[in-house]
Amino acid sequence: MRAEEMGKVSRRVRLTFAVSSVVFLAVLAISPVKDYRREWKRYERRYIRFAQGRPDSKRLLADSRPEIDQIWIPGMNVVDRCTTCHLGITQPSLIDASVPQPFRAHPGIPHRVRDWGCTVCHRGQGPATEVAEAHQTTLAWEQPILPTKFIQGACGACHRAGLPETPRLNRGRELLTKLNCVGCHRLQDIERPAMLGPDLTGIGAKVSRRWIYKWLKEPRTLTDSTGNVTVNGYETGPESRMPKFRLTEQELSGLSAYLSTLRGKPGETYRLNPAILATWSKRSDAADQGEVRFRQMFCSTCHSLAVTRAGETKLIGGNIGPELTKVGSKVNPDWLLAWLRNPQAYLPHSRMPRYQWSDEDLYLVSKYVETKLTDSDLLANAPQLGAPTDSEVQTGRLLFVEKGCASCHGVAGVNPQQDFGPDLSALGGKNISELFFGRANIPHTLVAYIRAKLTDPLSMTPAARMPQYDLEAEDLDAVTTALLSMTGNPATSGMQQLVVTRAQAASHPAGAFGEVYERYKCYTCHKFNGYGGDLAPDLSYEGSRAQRPWLIEFLKKPQTLRPTLVLRMPQFNMTDKEAATLADYIGMVLQSPAVNLAAVDEKQFTPAMAAVGKQLYEIKYQCQACHTIGSTGGYVGPNLENVGNWVTPAWIEAWLRNPQALVPGTIEPRRSFTEEEVKNLAAYLMTLRKSAKRQESAQAQASSFEGRIASR
Amino acid sequence: MNMRTWVTLLLLSLVTLASACRNRTAEPVPDPLVRAYDMESDWNDPQRTIALNYEQSQGKRVFYTQCVWCHADTTPAGPSNRSNVNPNPPLMNDGAALNKESDEYMRNLITLGGSALGKSAMMPPYGRMLSDEDIRDVIAFTRAIAVPAYQSPVRPGAQYSVK
Repeated sequence: MRAEEMGKVSRRVRLTFAVSSVVFLAVLAISPVKDYRREWKRYERRYIRFAQGRPDSKRLLADSRPEIDQIWIPGMNVVDRCTTCHLGITQPSLIDASVPQPFRAHPGIPHRVRDWGCTVCHRGQGPATEVAEAHQTTLAWEQPILPTKFIQGACGACHRAGLPETPRLNRGRELLTKLNCVGCHRLQDIERPAMLGPDLTGIGAKVSRRWIYKWLKEPRTLTDSTGNVTVNGYETGPESRMPKFRLTEQELSGLSAYLSTLRGKPGETYRLNPAILATWSKRSDAADQGEVRFRQMFCSTCHSLAVTRAGETKLIGGNIGPELTKVGSKVNPDWLLAWLRNPQAYLPHSRMPRYQWSDEDLYLVSKYVETKLTDSDLLANAPQLGAPTDSEVQTGRLLFVEKGCASCHGVAGVNPQQDFGPDLSALGGKNISELFFGRANIPHTLVAYIRAKLTDPLSMTPAARMPQYDLEAEDLDAVTTALLSMTGNPATSGMQQLVVTRAQAASHPAGAFGEVYERYKCYTCHKFNGYGGDLAPDLSYEGSRAQRPWLIEFLKKPQTLRPTLVLRMPQFNMTDKEAATLADYIGMVLQSPAVNLAAVDEKQFTPAMAAVGKQLYEIKYQCQACHTIGSTGGYVGPNLENVGNWVTPAWIEAWLRNPQALVPGTIEPRRSFTEEEVKNLAAYLMTLRKSAKRQESAQAQASSFEGRIASR
Repeated sequence: MNMRTWVTLLLLSLVTLASACRNRTAEPVPDPLVRAYDMESDWNDPQRTIALNYEQSQGKRVFYTQCVWCHADTTPAGPSNRSNVNPNPPLMNDGAALNKESDEYMRNLITLGGSALGKSAMMPPYGRMLSDEDIRDVIAFTRAIAVPAYQSPVRPGAQYSVK
């Protein structure tokens, strides 16, 4: 009995032990199985299978090890394990889009993955070893991967100066400046310019109260002959950098009343020569002649006009100055005359040049503006507002500051509110928990937040003061990218050292040259040693390039050098003295260290050399593919038919040896001419000269071409 | 051993197993343009946009500064120079003409110019002006916009055209 019992017990105990040890083993096995099934290990196994199926498997598998791979850069706080799964990232043969992710190679970028890690540019969580943890916002980590569309924002965190590789970021930064965002917000590395919107101290003398009302209500409408065409977006010209403020009728009447009382200091009304008035008032073609002058002076280089062709309205002309299609119905004629004669008297920071007008031209052009650039229906929808009452003016004065008008527009004696909008200089590095999404029904990400704010400022809170901008999809992406680049000061000293700051090099020379330079605002279109616009050629080395007689002639009567260009240098009607002053300065100061003018003497060129050079030009190198001489040749490079009068021989030789040494970024490819070929080509080019008479006729042709373009 | 113990053991092991599992979040559907560094519209069909990666978009920049004047019908400055060049240069998206040329051949043509390869001297050499990366990128861009689409060769590595 006992023995039996014992046997029974022990059998039971044995069974229990057996079962529990099986269970124990199973439980023990969980850990290795779980380890085996880890996400990154699965990717490693998949990569091995993938690589084995390819012809270059040996190279693909050369340094794959079954472990977590980590890039550790202590100075920059980088601990990136991304390469654990992204195993082919440095394998050039895996670049093709047909390679499945996560094994595709990284496109060739200037930063090597091993030296920089991944999260510096892509964000996300570097030490994570699971897909979701690394890529998405989780409870423990708020910075998700930056979508590739906005990745240029990460470049901008360190590269504060513009990079050619990041067009979207550059466009976004340009728009942030152009749209006057710094008027209300603090932005990283975008300084407040001297003038954001026009100064309104004298606005009452320029436009009527009804016009102000209409403009405040709907700043972006363009009406054509077929009815009302509303052109959304600032592309109607930089004037509509003015966004739409949602103003009530009461606010509109208050603001328009206040602004129409701002008259500035009354200037003297300019009286035109009565003889000219008498002659032209008898003729009926004054406005037509004015239009011709308007075109000949190349006003359209800076100003655009709306043209309707086949039912489609589009703007033709530049966007440096405001669009002028209806300016005749907008401005007061006396103001117009005073403005044309001296724009800086009304707006000290205006970029409009101070032309040398003859009374006749002044009369004709103003006549053209007043009679042809008009629209009798412009103010049709604006009510008759009458004379401003005191209470309206009081309301308007308060609103001017409260609505933020004063943040962009100066009025003498009015102080704007400091920091009107939130500080955005570190927006790009903000965590989701720091953002207020309010009632907006959007994904909780930084990108979605920025887009919602830009497309509909009221979507988060109805009390938002931000006005409405109508950005096109591409520009929305660009502005988003630029805002994402503003991450404030880098957290680590390693990153701090990487910041490439933007160079500020304003160039405003003094003296006689400085006066002419400021008068004609040369720097609006030309660059001088890194400062200025990029519409026209960089003139930093013009003194080494141009021959003085040609330069003076060109300044007095500009003509186009490149047949494909529509935008042209305006005709300033400069005096001889002014042209000489400019030519003196350019010749003495704006010299290239790469050109030694004294080293090349034109007399060394013989007709035999020129004949060889002609052969080289026409047959061996076929320069006519891009350059025109006479009536044949390409449109890409400048017309060379007068190059012997225009360019110095030293510049031609240096240019043929290495164009990029003289003008960085110029598109003429650097060739491998022998020294003899350089001499022969230069000899040939110096024989290309036009007589003054032929230049005249070419000019007449050019201006009629301009007329064709403008009326297109 | 009674039923109860078995059930308890089974439940315990199930719970243990379950604890090893975790719910996996669904990945959002990738939008091709969100993953693209830049884009270019198809020259033959402006409605279609082509996603470009970093290399291709750098190639786009080089193309629109250097090549566009003769290898496209519209240029940023208006009229194209293509018609002035004889023989007419191929359009850069002309897959029928360019897909059959290897990357190596294209690289040589851009680097050394047309006359070095027995083609028109009007194609200048760019080897002393553009970097190797620029040339690699501009070829990558050409491949990306090619119509009909470009198929990369099956064998990776250097290829040579039979020329």
